[in-house]
Amino acid sequence: MTAHTPRILTDAETSLLDAYVAAGNTNAARDAAIAQLKDNGLPTRRVEAFHYTDLRALLKAGYSVASRPTEELAKTVGAQFPRLVTGASVQHFRDGHFFDFGEALPKGATVVAELPEAKPLGGNEDATALINTAFAQDGLTLSIAEGAEIEQTIGLAYAHTGSANTIAAQRFAINAAANSTSTIVYRAVGLEDVQYLSSSVVDLDIADGATVTFTMSIEEGNLAQRLGRLNVSLGNGAKLNLFILNVGGKLVRQEVNFDVVGENVDLNISGVNLIGGESHIDVTSRITHHTPNTNSTETFRNVATGRGRGVFQGQINVRQAAQLTDARMACNTLLLSDDCDFSAKPELEIFADDVQCAHGATVTDLEDSYMFYLMARGISETNARRMLIKAFVAEIVEDLEDKGLAEGLEGRIDTWMEKHV
Amino acid sequence: MLEIKNLHVRIEEDGTEIIKGLNLSVAAGEVAAIMGPNGSGKSTLSYVLSGKEDYEVTEGSITYNGQDLLELDVAERAAAGVFLAFQYPVEIPGVPTMTFLKEAMNAQRKERGEAELTTPDFIKRVRAAAGDLKIDFNMLKRPVNVGFSGGEKKRAEILQMSLLEPKLCILDETDSGLDIDALKIVSDGVNHLRDPNRAVIVITHYQRLLDHIVPDSVHVLSNGQIVKSGDKSLAIELEEKGYADIIAAAA
Ligand SMILES: Nc1ncnc2c1ncn2[C@@H]1O[C@H](COP(=O)(O)OP(=O)(O)OP(=O)(O)O)[C@@H](O)[C@H]1O
Ligand SMILES: [Mg+2]
Repeated sequence: MTAHTPRILTDAETSLLDAYVAAGNTNAARDAAIAQLKDNGLPTRRVEAFHYTDLRALLKAGYSVASRPTEELAKTVGAQFPRLVTGASVQHFRDGHFFDFGEALPKGATVVAELPEAKPLGGNEDATALINTAFAQDGLTLSIAEGAEIEQTIGLAYAHTGSANTIAAQRFAINAAANSTSTIVYRAVGLEDVQYLSSSVVDLDIADGATVTFTMSIEEGNLAQRLGRLNVSLGNGAKLNLFILNVGGKLVRQEVNFDVVGENVDLNISGVNLIGGESHIDVTSRITHHTPNTNSTETFRNVATGRGRGVFQGQINVRQAAQLTDARMACNTLLLSDDCDFSAKPELEIFADDVQCAHGATVTDLEDSYMFYLMARGISETNARRMLIKAFVAEIVEDLEDKGLAEGLEGRIDTWMEKHV
Repeated sequence: MLEIKNLHVRIEEDGTEIIKGLNLSVAAGEVAAIMGPNGSGKSTLSYVLSGKEDYEVTEGSITYNGQDLLELDVAERAAAGVFLAFQYPVEIPGVPTMTFLKEAMNAQRKERGEAELTTPDFIKRVRAAAGDLKIDFNMLKRPVNVGFSGGEKKRAEILQMSLLEPKLCILDETDSGLDIDALKIVSDGVNHLRDPNRAVIVITHYQRLLDHIVPDSVHVLSNGQIVKSGDKSLAIELEEKGYADIIAAAA
């Protein structure tokens, strides 16, 4: 037995502990989460799930929990971020705090604006969620009633209003009851040139026969650090169409975990990661098939340029009982500069024998012959590049059923390209 | 309009020389035909004129309307009026044809200091040009050249040419892959563009095309050089006798 020598905490770790004490918002669950962080520290590359994102090295020190912004600031900041879709009913958060702007919810949807309970967590491989448990200021539970067929898009919008070096943490629970249909857009935005820490956990429970179309548009400010997690559980016959856009942020770690616990589940995940400037964007996904006869597809298109670093870790676990699983994963990347890079790690753990699993990862540059053809018609090099990048990601975005939303997302992609291409 | 002097070109990658001291001049208003055996360097010449990167000019000059063409990049040459109808037009998945056409037309208008086209005006022009070339407008809703048949691709090249109204048109084997009716339609399209201020270089293997697009001059390209020039009767002579005698005489 070796004596347990206390580890020396890093500045970032110390300042998280200090921020927790200063905020004074404690309870048993929060205390336990902070104790975990203190004992095990932030994860380094040695923690498998953080192999490409050394959180201990990357997380900045000096954050404190954001106070509630004024009603006026909360309202006016929104004007800088035009909505992605028109006609949605949106629940608003600012710097981690809930604001009721009185937008009427569609029939069949209810919101309880209280922080939902945090899920039980493990060691520092759960650092993202531990930080959320310790710091979450506000949150809500959105419930979709049994059998409800809701056409109107429901929005969960979070904005950081610009107070430097603050932590904004929120937690959402979404319960889609049996046989319901709903469309939800989650959006995180923040101002440019302000350093902040954004923490977000979403627990999405899709009951038997329910269909959810869920879009996450993650548009953090260029200096932001974001630690996000989405947990999804899918019951019998449940269907999820999930789309994720990542555009912006200095450090973005977005975890997406899926537990397929019912049979005949249809899980479609797609996403676009645009990684420019100094961004480090890590999408780490884990799909667990527990039951027979389920399908999952996961497709990411990534564009890296500047000094951007991108990561996609895609784990598919097929449990022994999960016969006849059909799981497909693809990760295609355009690398556009010498100083950018992208790491893709597909991982299959299969314990059932009658399954179909496929994964593929490609890395390419823009095709020279396409560039020549476009430029030979007078299109400038920059515009030719943009057209080809757009074509590369549009294939995914165009698949979205909501054309208005697709257009909104394409607008975000255009804005990113104007800045980075 | 175009003056090529002692042009030497090699492939950048492996240094193989393809164009070996080529001289050619084409005047405004002229239609010049270039014929020559497979692999003689015809497409290479057309790529070098449009500025493709894989080639290196080691000697000689290309002057276009008094300007050193070799100083301009691909898009700048196009904006200056150089147009290449590709021997093998590429398919570009994901780029809608209409978006591409609009972008190309507006890029060139911008270069010339003209206002951007409005969408209705743009669509009107495309419809009219497509109609002239008997191109189904619905085809243009697809990505650039994707799934087009060989002949449709060639027609689409001429569609682009008529929309962009270039000053120097280079047609690289536009006739290959066209059926008899399409050959007529495409030739009409090209003849329609004949203009005292515009020059056309027609690269072809067949005299047949030159019945429709009657050239002012015919040049034989062999092993990287123009080995013989003449008027339209040269093409007829080639059709009858082949290249062997001419190439032997030049060697
Ligand atoms: N990028 C390249 N790499 C290697 N060889 C090349 C390249 N481009 C051209 N060549 C060679 O240069 C020669 C001339 O080719 P080019 O395509 O110009 O011929 P062409 O006269 O157009 O022939 P065709 O009548 O068959 O179209 C050929 O031998 C060809 O293989
Ligand atoms: Mg050729």
